[in-house]
Amino acid sequence: MINQDLVDYLKGHGVCVVCQLRYLKARGNEYKDIKESLEKLNVKYEAAAPQDEEEDNSETVCKKAKQQSCPCCLGLFSHSFQSQLIESILQTDIHKFECSDIVVAISMPMIVQTRQLAMWYALLEKFGNKIDKERAPDVPLKEAIKLIINPIICKELQKGYDANGIMINIQLSHNMEEDNLKKLKQLHEKAFPTAPNTKRQVVSRGVLDKQYMPKRIKADLFKEYFTVPPQADDILKLDSIEMTGPTVFVAGRYRKISRELSHTPWVLNGKRVMEDSIEEIIIRTVAPYFCKDISRVIFMSSGREDVDVRCLGKGRPFVLEIPNSIHTTLPTAEAHRMECEIDKSCKLSVKNLQMVQREELVHIKSGEEQKKKYYRALCKLHDPATPEILQKLDIPEGFQIQQKTPIRVLHRRPLHTRPRMIYKMKASVDKDNLRVLVLDVVSQAGTYIKELVHGEFGRTTPSVSSIIGQPVDILALDVMAIDLDWPKDVDNSLPE
Amino acid sequence: MQIDPLAEYYFQHEPQTICGQEVTAIIDEYVDNYPSVVDRFFTRYYYIKKSGSDKSPYQVLFHSNRICLISLAPEHPAYSNGIASLNFDIGQTDRAKNTVKGKGKKGGMVLQHDSTLALLTTKSGEVYKIPSCVRSKLVEVNTTYSENPESLLTAEEGANYIAIVLPKPEHCEDIKASLMTQEQYDEYKKQLMETSTEEVEK
Ligand SMILES: [Zn+2]
Repeated sequence: MINQDLVDYLKGHGVCVVCQLRYLKARGNEYKDIKESLEKLNVKYEAAAPQDEEEDNSETVCKKAKQQSCPCCLGLFSHSFQSQLIESILQTDIHKFECSDIVVAISMPMIVQTRQLAMWYALLEKFGNKIDKERAPDVPLKEAIKLIINPIICKELQKGYDANGIMINIQLSHNMEEDNLKKLKQLHEKAFPTAPNTKRQVVSRGVLDKQYMPKRIKADLFKEYFTVPPQADDILKLDSIEMTGPTVFVAGRYRKISRELSHTPWVLNGKRVMEDSIEEIIIRTVAPYFCKDISRVIFMSSGREDVDVRCLGKGRPFVLEIPNSIHTTLPTAEAHRMECEIDKSCKLSVKNLQMVQREELVHIKSGEEQKKKYYRALCKLHDPATPEILQKLDIPEGFQIQQKTPIRVLHRRPLHTRPRMIYKMKASVDKDNLRVLVLDVVSQAGTYIKELVHGEFGRTTPSVSSIIGQPVDILALDVMAIDLDWPKDVDNSLPE
Repeated sequence: MQIDPLAEYYFQHEPQTICGQEVTAIIDEYVDNYPSVVDRFFTRYYYIKKSGSDKSPYQVLFHSNRICLISLAPEHPAYSNGIASLNFDIGQTDRAKNTVKGKGKKGGMVLQHDSTLALLTTKSGEVYKIPSCVRSKLVEVNTTYSENPESLLTAEEGANYIAIVLPKPEHCEDIKASLMTQEQYDEYKKQLMETSTEEVEK
């Protein structure tokens, strides 16, 4: 089979030049200059099919002279369809997105797949064993769309193509799709009969791709339901175009000065225990700048502290994952406005607000176990502190403890005894009350500090209490630092 | 002039401003009458066997998350008689071999309120079958006191627990109703005192 014979056959059945190239297995730049490509493949090129020219001025033509199209792509690759597509995209609210890239997703009716199958059977009939029965003779439509339609859309919108760009969801339909699905269902039952009482397989796009080929379905059976070779038909219809903005990530560090603010909404038996949370304050202040539906925004942080624990020092790194965002940058002034707004809560403060890349999220998500935690605990001694007690609690070289799952979380977590490193400990005392002890602790992530102090009835050993041999209780706890140098420092109060 | 040996240990607050306000020093949050861990998170209940002649009292510390700590009540005879041994091997079963897996505490031994948890022998030779007090699953036993039974007598409230058990959420109300509250237990002690004085007077 030489290329010219193939092209002549296709042309004779009304197949468009783009599809001709698809059947010549063009997989790259060939679609940019079709004439040149065809000539390179030793195929004579003739000016655009008369059909295509007709289409250009047929918009006002009455119903009877319906637009007829290439039987393979049903007009998907025609100029008129492409310009209609571009025009429709430009009419959407795509311009509201501050984003220089797009990604295109075209969802096609299954009739297009049936058409490729029909042409496969036709070519088999015509060219016999020169046509493979398992591997399709054409470049798949999905691939051709990537090579042909996506670059055109990018060019017209003056945008780049990037997986993180605005997602343009294009839904196509065809007026014969319902009939096509009915026939497919009938064919499927004959071609792949299912045993009684077993669930019938639904003919999906994936099933068509994997199971439908001349090797598995006899031509005669296929022809009972579908015309071979495929006939020209109405062109595809543009059903809908929907835009989804890119997912963006906004990071920062938060400090918490309230002992009555939970990390995430705290609900018990359907009722709020605390009216607000860190997550909610940050999301409701930051997210509306980026998207309308803030309920889909995800809040992540490098660990968390208990409700009654303050987080001081430089604060705790966090990041928001914001889907369908209209912005991809955050102006300094806007970031500063958000930071000032959160300060007004008098419970929580956020600094270093900035855009970050998805790849940077590893800082927050991984290595949690290796991170060191810096705490300050307010403790009460049974007996007044002595130099001896304070010396015992000055442990610069650190020590290891064995900690059972605390009783306060034992109802919802498994019982384990875990070794935890206390890297450093140092105590100081209130000059005016020697029973008031302040303990600075550097610990391994996952250490329960309250239990480290009082020993929890002997379930954490050693504990501050067991080290000095008297009951010790903890009254308050602060996080002093988080061992994560991310995101970078930015001062949004400075003018840009 | 005398040198203050604690001078180098005095706490010094480092000032910091957050939300436009001075962050309060952690020592400013000290309160003198701070309740104990048991008072903060647990409710005290008591259990006395309904049948049999052994009327020694046991304590159940009910955590707000329904975890229960089972221990001897302060009036338990063991406190005056001394403890020779505490054994979790109660015959057919060794409670010390209890294991639990996962959040649901799978595999934990199933306990009725009168199931024996451990056997306590006093120095005067009496043997007490310590009851589970609560219909529940056994989570953990405190082997400290099988190894060193005498130390149980000096342990603080809470630290003297013999076992940790977890009742089902739907049983909690019935369990609490079946136990004596602190008030009921105090009343019970008062009545005991009165009857014993009466007996002495007779
Ligand atoms: Zn075509």
